[in-house]
Parts: sequence; C-alpha cells; structure tokens
Amino acid sequence: MEMLQNLAFGFEHALTIQNLAYCALGCVVGTVIGLLPGLGPLATISLLLPLTYSIPTDSALIMLAGIYYGAQYGDSVSAITMKIPHASSIVACIDGYQMTLKGKTGLALFTAGVSSFIGGTVAIVVLASLAPTLGQVGLLFGPADYCALMLLGFMCVSIVTTGSLVSGLAMCLIGVLLGQIGTDVETGVQRFTFNIHALIDGVSLVSVALGCFGIAEIAKNLDAREERTPFNGKIHLMPTWGEFKRIIPSALRGSAVGSLLGILPGGGPTIAQFAAYAVDKKVSKYRDEIGSGCIEGVAGQAAADEAAARTSFIPLMSLGIPENAVMALMMAAFIIKGVQPGPNMLSKHPDLFWGLVASMWIGNCFLLILNVPLVRFWLSVFKIPYNVLFPSILFFCCIGTYSVNNNLDDVIVTAAFGCLGYMFMRLSMDPAPLMLGFILGPMLEEYFRRAMILSRGSFEVFVTRPISATLIALMVLLVAGQLFFTVRGIRAGRRSDLEPAQPV
Amino acid sequence: MPNQHLARGILLAAIALAFGLGALRYNMGSLVHAGPGLFPLLLSGLLLVLALITIVQSRFLEAEPLDFNLKNIALIMLALGGFVIISEYVAMIFGIAFLVFVASLAGSSHSWKRSLQVTVALIVVAFIFQKFLGLHLRLI
Repeated sequence: MEMLQNLAFGFEHALTIQNLAYCALGCVVGTVIGLLPGLGPLATISLLLPLTYSIPTDSALIMLAGIYYGAQYGDSVSAITMKIPHASSIVACIDGYQMTLKGKTGLALFTAGVSSFIGGTVAIVVLASLAPTLGQVGLLFGPADYCALMLLGFMCVSIVTTGSLVSGLAMCLIGVLLGQIGTDVETGVQRFTFNIHALIDGVSLVSVALGCFGIAEIAKNLDAREERTPFNGKIHLMPTWGEFKRIIPSALRGSAVGSLLGILPGGGPTIAQFAAYAVDKKVSKYRDEIGSGCIEGVAGQAAADEAAARTSFIPLMSLGIPENAVMALMMAAFIIKGVQPGPNMLSKHPDLFWGLVASMWIGNCFLLILNVPLVRFWLSVFKIPYNVLFPSILFFCCIGTYSVNNNLDDVIVTAAFGCLGYMFMRLSMDPAPLMLGFILGPMLEEYFRRAMILSRGSFEVFVTRPISATLIALMVLLVAGQLFFTVRGIRAGRRSDLEPAQPV
Repeated sequence: MPNQHLARGILLAAIALAFGLGALRYNMGSLVHAGPGLFPLLLSGLLLVLALITIVQSRFLEAEPLDFNLKNIALIMLALGGFVIISEYVAMIFGIAFLVFVASLAGSSHSWKRSLQVTVALIVVAFIFQKFLGLHLRLI
C-alpha cells in the first residue's frame, strides 16, 4: 500500500506540464539517437549535460533518464528493420531481422514495442519496491565496503563489456588514473597537470565521454565507409489475437530476467537481452522456431532490454554506486544538479526519487506511442546521409564541451581524448569501463583513504568486515573463473593447432 | 603489421609508467595518512601488472593485425584544432565553417554546396542555442 501512495506522490510531481514536456523531449531524443548509427546514449547524455544547467533539477534528470531508456527502444527499431546492431540491440538483429526478411516487419516492431512496454512496467514495480529496502542496506556500508563494491563493479563491467578481465580492468584503471589529474581534494597538491591551466580542475567528464564515444566513434564509422540504404518495405502493424497471445508469456519471462540482471553489478541491458534470449530458447513453447524469426525471439529480449535499463537505476539510487558506464554518467548528472545519489537520497529528496520513478512509466507510454504507430516517421531519419550527420555531430561535441566552462581549451582536451579513444578502439579496447573508472575514481580514492584511516593503515579491514569480505570472495571467484577459462582456451587453441599436423 | 595484442600491452605499460613515474614526484605519506602520490602509485603498479600479463598473453594468442586509417582521424583533429584557433582569434562562425568544410573531406563523398548548407544550418542552430538556451557563444 505504501508503495502505491509513494507512486501517487511521484505522479503528482511527474505530471506537471513542464516535466511531461521534458520527459517527452527525452524520449524523442532518445529514440532518434537509438536509431542513428554512431551516437549512443553515453555520448548524447554527456552532450546534453551542459545544456541542462538552466533546467530545474527534476526536469533535467527526467529528461536524461528518458534519453537512456528511449535509446533502447530506438535501438531495436533499427536492428529489426535494417540489421544495424547497436551495443544494446545485438540480439534484436537475429530474430527481428529474420522477421523482416519474411515480410513481418510490422509484427516484429509491434512485438518489440509492446514487450518493451511490459518490461518497463514490471521493472518500475521492482524499482519502486526494492530501492527503498536496498537503501536501508546501503546505510550499513562502511568505506571499506564501498571500496570493495566499486572494485567488484569494475570487474563485472570488465567481464561483461570486453569479455576479458585483464583488458577491461586495465581500462577501468586508466579511467581512475585519468580521474587523478587535477587538484587533490585532501592535500591541495596539483597532480599530473603539467602546469596547464585547463587541467587544474581536472579533465572534464564531458571531454572524456565525447572524446572516447563521440569523436572516436565518428572516425571509426568513417573508416568503415558503409552507406546504408533506408528501409522502404511495407509495415503492417496490427497482429492477430493468436500472435498477441504469444507475446505475453515471453515478454514476462524477459521482464523477470531483465529486472534481475539490471540490478547486479556490471549488469544492464546488453547482458540482460542475451540472457533472456537464452532463457526463451530453453523454455519457450515455440523454442524450435527461435532463430528463424519468431515472436518469442523478439519479445523476450526486448522486454529484458527495457527492464534492465530501468532496474539499473536501483544500485545508483539506493547505494550510490553506478553499475555501468551510463549509470555513472547519470550519477555525474545527479551530482551536477546538487543531488547526492545514495542511501540518503530517498529521505532527502523523496519528490525527486518518486517523480523520476513515475516519469519512467509515463515515458514508457510516450515511447509506446512513438515507436508503434509513429514508427514509419522515424524510419525517415535514415534518409539523412552520414556525410551531413557527422560534421553536425562534431559541431555539437564542440559546443557541448565549450559550454561546460565557456572555455575553448576544453575542446582541445576533448580532441585529445578523441585521438586516444580512436587508438583504444583500433586496439579493440572498450572505452566503457574507462568511463566508469573515471567517474568512480575520485570516490574510490576518498573511500580508500577513509578506510585506511579507520583501520590505522591495515588492509585487514577488507577481509574482517562481513560485507567487504563477501564482495572480495566474489572477486576471487571471478578471477579464478577467468583464469580457468583462459587456460582452457589456450590449451584448446594449441590442440587445434596440433591436429592438422597429424597424418590422416 | 604489428600484433594488436602486443601493441595493447605496450600501450598499457606506457600509460602505467607515465603515471607511476609521475606519482613518484609527489609526497607518499603513509597508509594511515595517504599523501597525494600514494593512490596513483598503487593504481599504476596494478596497471603495470595487467600490462605485463597482456604482453605475456600476446605470445599465446593468435596475432591480430593492427590497422590504422590515419587520414580520417587526422582530418577530424585538424578540423577541431582549426575550430578552436579560429574561434579564439577570429569568430566562432568562421570556426564552424572551417570545422564543417575540413571534416567533410573525411566523408565518403564531399561537395562544396552541401558543406555550405550544413554550415549555414549549424550557424542558425548556434544562434538559437545562444538566444534560447543562454549559452555564452562568441559567435561573431
């Protein structure tokens, strides 16, 4: 009952004309960037961060959240119609595109839209009921526990995004090191600034994000030189009753999987959709058809995708620790707006918390309208050639970084990170963990110092406190698991090298 | 072609050494009262370990060639650099024009007419930003 009351309270805040307008704006922008190649939610949120300075706190956060979950919807549209994979819609390319080849584009889009709606709704119920409880748990966390939690988050993100603990963790560490640039808060010493004026306050978050995700991505797309033909097929949206009935169970399964995986550290939409697809392949009544373009192959993953995008707000808002790079950026947005996400957020800013939760459901409705009846309109976005698009994106990157401090030097820093990001990309090093490390870095250092002061300089504190000991044990398991798979992989590789040498 | 895995390890090691040696210049303090240099030193030590693992691993993994296309990234860097210099010393609208025209050279096809259209459109957008969002752009 209390939850309903809280949600009603949230709707009161979310249903003002201003907040509705920003929510709609966020959803529209999110859908567009989800559709377009070369501009993900990370780059867009950091691009819009400086523009939200003049907007009230709740509206700004509602809009930024809308961009994030809106992009998940848009992603699946471009995946289904044109097989353009974004980071979060790789799975939608499998069955969704198969359905397009069969001429069932409309059905696939309808399925994805409705399942996303179901997934989002389920996730909001989970969010509203779980976040306050987890917030209580968050109060038990000491500095050492926070350190351990962040390190565990680094490891999980590394494994999930890059598949390799070593290279992902290395990127996290580079991020943390980049976060060290600037004035040390505790001693006032300038670190790694080389007496450059622009670096005294540290590297701005917007520079790192736009450099590594905006500019580097453009260079990569230009290297690929792919011209995409816009989708011109017919779209028949309304399904039959029999088809509609097939959507529901699969979408509900996907919602459950997505909600769960969204909460875990390192989780999020990408891993959730793979898991949901795998679950559907195991338990669905129509499992034999999955892979050749059937409803279940689209519904489950779309629901999981959307559910995970929302439940990933839970760790951020209850513990104050973001679990993936996009959430880290959201945390930065919260802090810029003067709100410290964490266990105290619910008691200090209940209007903001519940307003945001309620706005997610409103955004869900907007997105359903935007992506099902109006989908034809969005597909015309693809008629903009990339040669027009990319100079414009570069321009927005420049304006975005410039307006943080009204300083042109920041644009140079962004360009430098673009160069670095391109190098990372060419070396197949994923910049997402770097982003997480960069944002969490200063916090990690602060908690580490506090933990060391409290324990009088002894590392024992990490294993004697039950919470951090559990987290450390999980880390050891992860490392052991990774080691096992690496060694097995190398052995298998050697064996296959040897085989052809044997006489037949 | 250099091996991608090895190049990755070397890049990581270089970053670790750069930050680690830099950190040595700062006061270490003790674990109880950490100085400014301690935390970066710990981190770069860890990064160096990971770099060494990557280098060792590269001997076991199949080599993947490294391909760079210097032209596109160089053009983009030139466009951004020019934008900053022209905006600083002349005016931002010329900076925008430079940005669009130089960056367009990296595209799959480029026409002066289209670049001009994009430039005009972006300058209009910039004026809108200045007027309605209150951004402090020194356009002229």
